[in-house]
Amino acid sequence: MIDLIDLINPLGAVIALFFVVSLISILWWMLHPPVYIPAAAAKARRSVFAVKRILVPTVGLPYAERGVELACRLGAEQGAEILLIYVVEVPRTMPLGIPLPDAEQEGNQALDRASSIVKLHGLPSQRILQRARLAGEEIARIARERDIDMIILGIRSEPGLRDAILGRTSDIILRHSPCEVVIDKLPKEA
Amino acid sequence: MASEVRAPSDALPNAPVELRRDVSIWGSFTWGYADVGADVYVALGLVMGAAHGATPLAFAAAGFVYILIGFAYTELASAYPVAGGGQYYTLRGLGDIWGFITGAALLLDYTIDIALFATASAGYINFFFPAIQSYGVDIGPFHGINLIWAAESLLLIVFLMILNIRGIRESSLFNSLIGALDMVLESTIIVLGFLFAWKPEMVVMQFKNEFPSAEQFFYAVSVAIISYVGLESISQAAQETRRPATIIPRTSVSLIFVVLLFAMAFPVLSLGILPWQTLAERESDPVAVLASAIPYVGFLAGHAAAVLGATIVLISANTGVMGASRLTYSMSECHLLSPWFNAVHPKYRTPVRSVVFFSGVAAVEAAFSFLSGPKAMDTMVNMYAFGATLAYFMSFIALIALRIKDPYTPRPYRMPFNIKIKGVYIPVLGIVGAFATLGMLGVVIWTHALGRIAGPGWILLWLGVYLWYRWRNKLPVLSSVRHDWEKEQIAILTSAEEFDLLEQYKLALTERNKKEAKHASK
Repeated sequence: MIDLIDLINPLGAVIALFFVVSLISILWWMLHPPVYIPAAAAKARRSVFAVKRILVPTVGLPYAERGVELACRLGAEQGAEILLIYVVEVPRTMPLGIPLPDAEQEGNQALDRASSIVKLHGLPSQRILQRARLAGEEIARIARERDIDMIILGIRSEPGLRDAILGRTSDIILRHSPCEVVIDKLPKEA
Repeated sequence: MASEVRAPSDALPNAPVELRRDVSIWGSFTWGYADVGADVYVALGLVMGAAHGATPLAFAAAGFVYILIGFAYTELASAYPVAGGGQYYTLRGLGDIWGFITGAALLLDYTIDIALFATASAGYINFFFPAIQSYGVDIGPFHGINLIWAAESLLLIVFLMILNIRGIRESSLFNSLIGALDMVLESTIIVLGFLFAWKPEMVVMQFKNEFPSAEQFFYAVSVAIISYVGLESISQAAQETRRPATIIPRTSVSLIFVVLLFAMAFPVLSLGILPWQTLAERESDPVAVLASAIPYVGFLAGHAAAVLGATIVLISANTGVMGASRLTYSMSECHLLSPWFNAVHPKYRTPVRSVVFFSGVAAVEAAFSFLSGPKAMDTMVNMYAFGATLAYFMSFIALIALRIKDPYTPRPYRMPFNIKIKGVYIPVLGIVGAFATLGMLGVVIWTHALGRIAGPGWILLWLGVYLWYRWRNKLPVLSSVRHDWEKEQIAILTSAEEFDLLEQYKLALTERNKKEAKHASK
């Protein structure tokens, strides 16, 4: 035994060890392939992967900003473009072009906060500040015009005045949107 | 390799003949390993004879080209998981006639593979009968012909032919078992050799004092490339592999590195244990000679290596028989060869005509090689190197062409280092590989006297057969048959059950169509 140990060349031992470790590592990697994806699962997976432009309306409130975060996570794998929109609703009693500096400032601040969330994910983004009579109609129109694949809408957790779960804007978007709409509603406690 | 040709069912008498998906992950690996893993058993002595002390360098140079080839084949086989290998990729990327030329080069390799490895198997058997090794007679103008070795080789070819006509489902298990046993034994020889017998100073001394001339070195590199030939087999089996687009990149990449490990370890070990002349003199059984030189276990390891060497190279020859039949199947499916070759034996359900025909060609090649005297294996290597380098060069060109012509097909594995130009990923390493294999082809033509005549001669002969077949069947002679590649790709991915890739492909096509429609409306 001692004779055998004396025979060992240190460099030879290092090469032998490298050889064995490399061989085992390669074979282990080879024998552990990714799992099989059935046809239905593949279809579902890839249909989400096909979402390349996501529109997220924001009103500058926490539930809307959560919608931005969700949109970023849904679009992260395929590097989707996130379009952030804030609509200033102008009552019909006023001209559409009337100066509304406070409302516009509020909108820009909401878009700034939403953009900072998108920046964290490193995704391309666009910000849209728009005036309209009805926010829902304007969002649906933009979705059609800009070839949007998905709208993600964060809505308030408390019901509105009419005790309806969906507000007027969400309702219009759901009715008139040309694309997939995802609504995120947190439980009341949240 | 339990796969066999699936005959049309009784319910669907006109259904196309398909190949059954029976090859598992280990089966796919051993399919390639049986072919490539055996090569070092043959190449070691031949390369030593030419590269002397620089043998590891010759293996490393060929290994670099091999890695590029391996990566290219991995990308192509996972993107287009169908039988045919290089022939199919070239046909799809460059057109029918180029696909045929690549197919003909590969057919040359498969038939030489049968002849060369049957001869090598007989050589390892003769490790136990040293008298046969030195036997030689003169027949007319031919000198030193080893008739006994030649007869043994021909008998082995006949044996393989009968085996393949009968169809051997059990061969898959046998192949996997022998492949695993071979890896264990080769690893044992390498580990014990490096631990107890290897002397680094001997490697350095031989490297310094026994460096070959430039021409000898380049010749050695072109011979060393044969240690890596066989990766093609994994692609040939793509249509019979389960989830090929997922499995093939794994088995191919593993095979590349496993074979590279062995191919680099053996020459470094050999030069640290024995003078290069000892191995060069025993070109028929170099690994057995090397194993015999390991202290304490040499007497046993030498015999075991000879037995396993004889078996593994015989399996490699068997891969040649099967590879030729898969290739002719693909070529006739693509209207490059007559469907005559695809006739299935009524009882055994095997492609009997292609098995008999190409085994016969291999027997003729072996017989002619023995006429060249004691350097019979060297003669076959000449042609082997020509066929391999030509097919690999064409495959690189096809890889580049397909990246441009077919950017929508999903590639689960992509060759590293790409430049994006107008939405197309140009493979930098693919371009390097094309130049490297073209250079290697040049070296083969420059240094292999027989390769430069017999190789192109073979291609021209088959080209004649192709032109005649196309003309006779009123098919485009110099241009290509029309294909709906998108429809075909969807069928390929559906049949391979690679649904994720299928959906990816459909989405890419939809997006392209959308863009085109938008562009048209502007």
